[in-house]
Amino acid sequence: MFKELGDIRASGLKAFRDVQVDESNLLLWHGVIVPDNPPYNKGAFRIEINFPAEYPFKPPKIHFRTKIYHPNIDEKGQVCLPIISAENWKPATKTDQVIQALVALVNDPEPEHPLRADLAEEYIKDRKKFVKNAEEFTKKHSERRPPE
Amino acid sequence: MSEQGNPGFQPLSITIECAHLKSPSSFLKPNPYVELVIDDKAPRKTEVVKCTIQPKWNEEFTVLVTPHSLLHYRVLDHCSFRKDSVLGEKRLCLYDILHMCNGRCEYLEITLDLYRGSPADSQNVAAVKVGELITLMHGLRIDLSSANTPSAIQPSIPTSSRIPDPRNSGSGGLSNGETGGIRGGLNGVRFRVRPHGNGNNVSNGTVQSQIRQGAGPVSHSHQMLHADLSTLAARAAAAVAAASQMSQDQAQALPPSHHHANGVQSSEHPAEGESSASPSTSGTALANGIVNPGAVASNVEMEPRVPSSTATVVEEPLPAGWEMRYDVYGRRYYVDHNTRSTSWERPQPLPAGWEIRRDQRGRIYYVDHNTRTTTWQRPSTERLQHYQHWQGERAHVMSQGNQRFLYPQHPTTPHPDLSSIAEEEDSLGPLPEGWEKRLGPEGRPYFCNHKNRVTQWEDPRTQGEELGADELPLPPGWEIRLTEDHVRYFVDHNKKTTTFQDPRPGAPKGMPVGAYGVPRAYERSFRWKISQFRYLCQNNAIPSHIKISVSRQTLFDESYQQIMRFPAYELRKRLYIIFRGEEGLDYGGVSREWFFMLSHEVLNPMYCLFEYANKSNYSLQINPASYVNPDHLLYFKFIGRFIAMALYHGRFIYSGFTMPFYKRMLNKQLTMKDIESIDPEFYNSLVWIRDNNIDECGLELYFSVDFEVLGQVMHHELKENGDKVRVCEENKEEYVRLMTEWRMTRGIEDQTNYFLQGFDEVVPLVWLKYFDERELELMLCGMQEVDVDDWQRNTIYRHYTRSSKQVVWFWQFVRQTDNEKRARLLQFVTGTCRVPVGGFAELMGSNGPQRFCIEKVGKDTWLPRSHTCFNRLDLPPYKSYEQLVEKLIYAIEETEGFGQE
Repeated sequence: MFKELGDIRASGLKAFRDVQVDESNLLLWHGVIVPDNPPYNKGAFRIEINFPAEYPFKPPKIHFRTKIYHPNIDEKGQVCLPIISAENWKPATKTDQVIQALVALVNDPEPEHPLRADLAEEYIKDRKKFVKNAEEFTKKHSERRPPE
Repeated sequence: MSEQGNPGFQPLSITIECAHLKSPSSFLKPNPYVELVIDDKAPRKTEVVKCTIQPKWNEEFTVLVTPHSLLHYRVLDHCSFRKDSVLGEKRLCLYDILHMCNGRCEYLEITLDLYRGSPADSQNVAAVKVGELITLMHGLRIDLSSANTPSAIQPSIPTSSRIPDPRNSGSGGLSNGETGGIRGGLNGVRFRVRPHGNGNNVSNGTVQSQIRQGAGPVSHSHQMLHADLSTLAARAAAAVAAASQMSQDQAQALPPSHHHANGVQSSEHPAEGESSASPSTSGTALANGIVNPGAVASNVEMEPRVPSSTATVVEEPLPAGWEMRYDVYGRRYYVDHNTRSTSWERPQPLPAGWEIRRDQRGRIYYVDHNTRTTTWQRPSTERLQHYQHWQGERAHVMSQGNQRFLYPQHPTTPHPDLSSIAEEEDSLGPLPEGWEKRLGPEGRPYFCNHKNRVTQWEDPRTQGEELGADELPLPPGWEIRLTEDHVRYFVDHNKKTTTFQDPRPGAPKGMPVGAYGVPRAYERSFRWKISQFRYLCQNNAIPSHIKISVSRQTLFDESYQQIMRFPAYELRKRLYIIFRGEEGLDYGGVSREWFFMLSHEVLNPMYCLFEYANKSNYSLQINPASYVNPDHLLYFKFIGRFIAMALYHGRFIYSGFTMPFYKRMLNKQLTMKDIESIDPEFYNSLVWIRDNNIDECGLELYFSVDFEVLGQVMHHELKENGDKVRVCEENKEEYVRLMTEWRMTRGIEDQTNYFLQGFDEVVPLVWLKYFDERELELMLCGMQEVDVDDWQRNTIYRHYTRSSKQVVWFWQFVRQTDNEKRARLLQFVTGTCRVPVGGFAELMGSNGPQRFCIEKVGKDTWLPRSHTCFNRLDLPPYKSYEQLVEKLIYAIEETEGFGQE
């Protein structure tokens, strides 16, 4: 875990920053997702990564702490990410791969596997409206983007 | 915190404090005690206070009430030589009280005028007032809009004097909530909100949580004074959330002075109470959801992105005694003052009707007033779901009790009348020499072989005749005989030799074969094994009987006390079970019911002793967190004894254990495969490590492992200095083996040992040596008629269709075979012989509902395989019915997970 954390901090991912881990509880990480693509590129989103005690036998869980208007992320901040689902999980999966998959999902929603069907429908049928709503929502709720 | 729209019972704490009685007419002072009857249920009584007219009891009762409960208080004079006489009494309709205080019974002091003279109705002018009783009601909040007034019980107060409901009266109405002191039109009843807490406005955010706890508010408030500001903000946030049932404008802060203005002055309390009414009712004000402005402001600062108008992120209030804090990094964590522990995860509030308590030794436990039960483990949504699932089985338990069977089966007539037995008898001819037919205590026939003193259920005349009547005759001079183990062999009198090989032409060469051409060596005769086990039981029977007398309400506890009191061997005596209050002799039916009900009871997930294996596997396994129950090891010993008794006395239990648990009972080596049924995710990862080159993927693993019980992470080294030994390709085999061993035993070793010890005292574990784990399940749970139509209806196919010939053959086999084979087939594919409560439509897999599935896989030389996590049978495309039956039986009778994948 220490090593993975070091790797991630060293890799200097532009899209995932401010990684914080309490030294007394390595199993809970905090960080900020900074997406590149509109409509989310005006904000930043705090996430929490929870590693189970049995990691890497069991996958980590990811929660959004900042609200986001996204077809694959629900109102409670739960996100459906195939790479950490029970069927696909492999103990060799690295956390930076998970984060990259997450960033990719945020940037490019997958309306085919939605958590919020209403947003997925809007995304498919009326992209303009979706982008407008998502931009407004981002402006209202998201975090300030950390300086480059 | 109010249970809106919940029409059921809710807990209310009633403290009977004291009474002021008028001087008695005689010179003897009474020995008063109070009896409280709610809705004509069993009375709650206080202690007797001797020889006084100013008795003080201060006894708290937690009672279950509905908004329309009738409370009947009676003060009685205890007398040791004649019937206790009534000193005074008072009836009260809870709705009247609730109506007056807007549904909030919190620190509500109630002074009741006591009257004497039947019917002691306060409206009765003739009744004589004989004194006053002072009680405190606390901990009940009802949304009156959802608690409709039944026409029968109209509130006895004029509507004009009712306190306006804040929800209707708009801003400012809120503070009226605490002005419960208005007397209204209630005759002989006065009430007021009692001051509590320390009156400090800032600390009042805590009151919200204390209210549920109902104990020690003062100490908590002091604690709060030392808490830092951000904590207060957090608590205030919780209070805001708690008040979310109130409209937005009401939740906005009111200036503190306002509370004082409205708090006490409006209380029209009679003279004796007034002096004690301090101006600190603001505590109540906060309890009602008002937050002071400072707290709200800081709350907003803390969570700037969470405007209160969007309710989605506003979380539920924290449970009593919990507090949210921020660490130096600004991260939230939660402090549980009850257990003095912290946690990153937000605690779920206690569900409705639950309460946290502490016993004499200071240990925390949880009371469920809904069911009047207690548990050591904090209830969570998941645990409650499990509990509800468990409870939902009850009706099923009752109906199942008489449907389980082993051998022989009489599916249509469990107790065939004598004439049909006689008919059967005639067609079979007389019994072999030395055999006798007897009737068991339930009228079930069994067979006694006086030569070697064996008894068995099966009829010796039909035993071993599976081959059927259409067999070819033997060559002349040959004879069929059975070995001691009932294996058929052939005697050639011509050459005076014996052989297992069937001499008839066309018989398969090689090993002797049984029905369907399966080699005898692989066809286990379950019946024969059972008879061997029964024989051991009978040989070790103890004369006379033991009596176990229990009531249905306290089944678990009483059974525990009595079973543990007997020396273990005595539990092999004939059982005589009595359900108190229910007449009837135990000729088997009562004890059958006792085993069934108690087995369901001991496996109650709320006792924390057992848990469901996972969300798709409702078999039970030992709960590693059982240590929260301080006496857990003794309970496991008890359950071990009880399970042994069930086997010994040939009774069934309702739901069984996981396959790995049975294997443990049989002292069998647990394999990696066994993990799959209880923890598929873990299993998949282990398989991945086994099957992939871990040196290449840079997997950083050491010979050590963590796991979590009740939020506590336990660290374990798989071998000495395991923390420092890295896992690589060379040593990973050892790693996988040690991991498997650890996974199957972690946190449950002591419990398992106590269980096995308890079992072994009654039935030596070596007696089970005949059986494998699947047979043990069948022995313990019995078999049940399987509804093949339902099964077939709820089966899906992959690469086959409904009309594929292999599918048609499969169902032909299922219909033609016996119950044992059906049960075994089910075990093979789904992991258990039991059908879900709602039938095959409710079969669960590891990812939710998963129907029975038959998939075309492989070649006809393969054996069928199964995937118990997915309830899937891989059935190769066999070329004939006979081939399908042979392979299928071979696979389901193989013990060692050979055909399972």
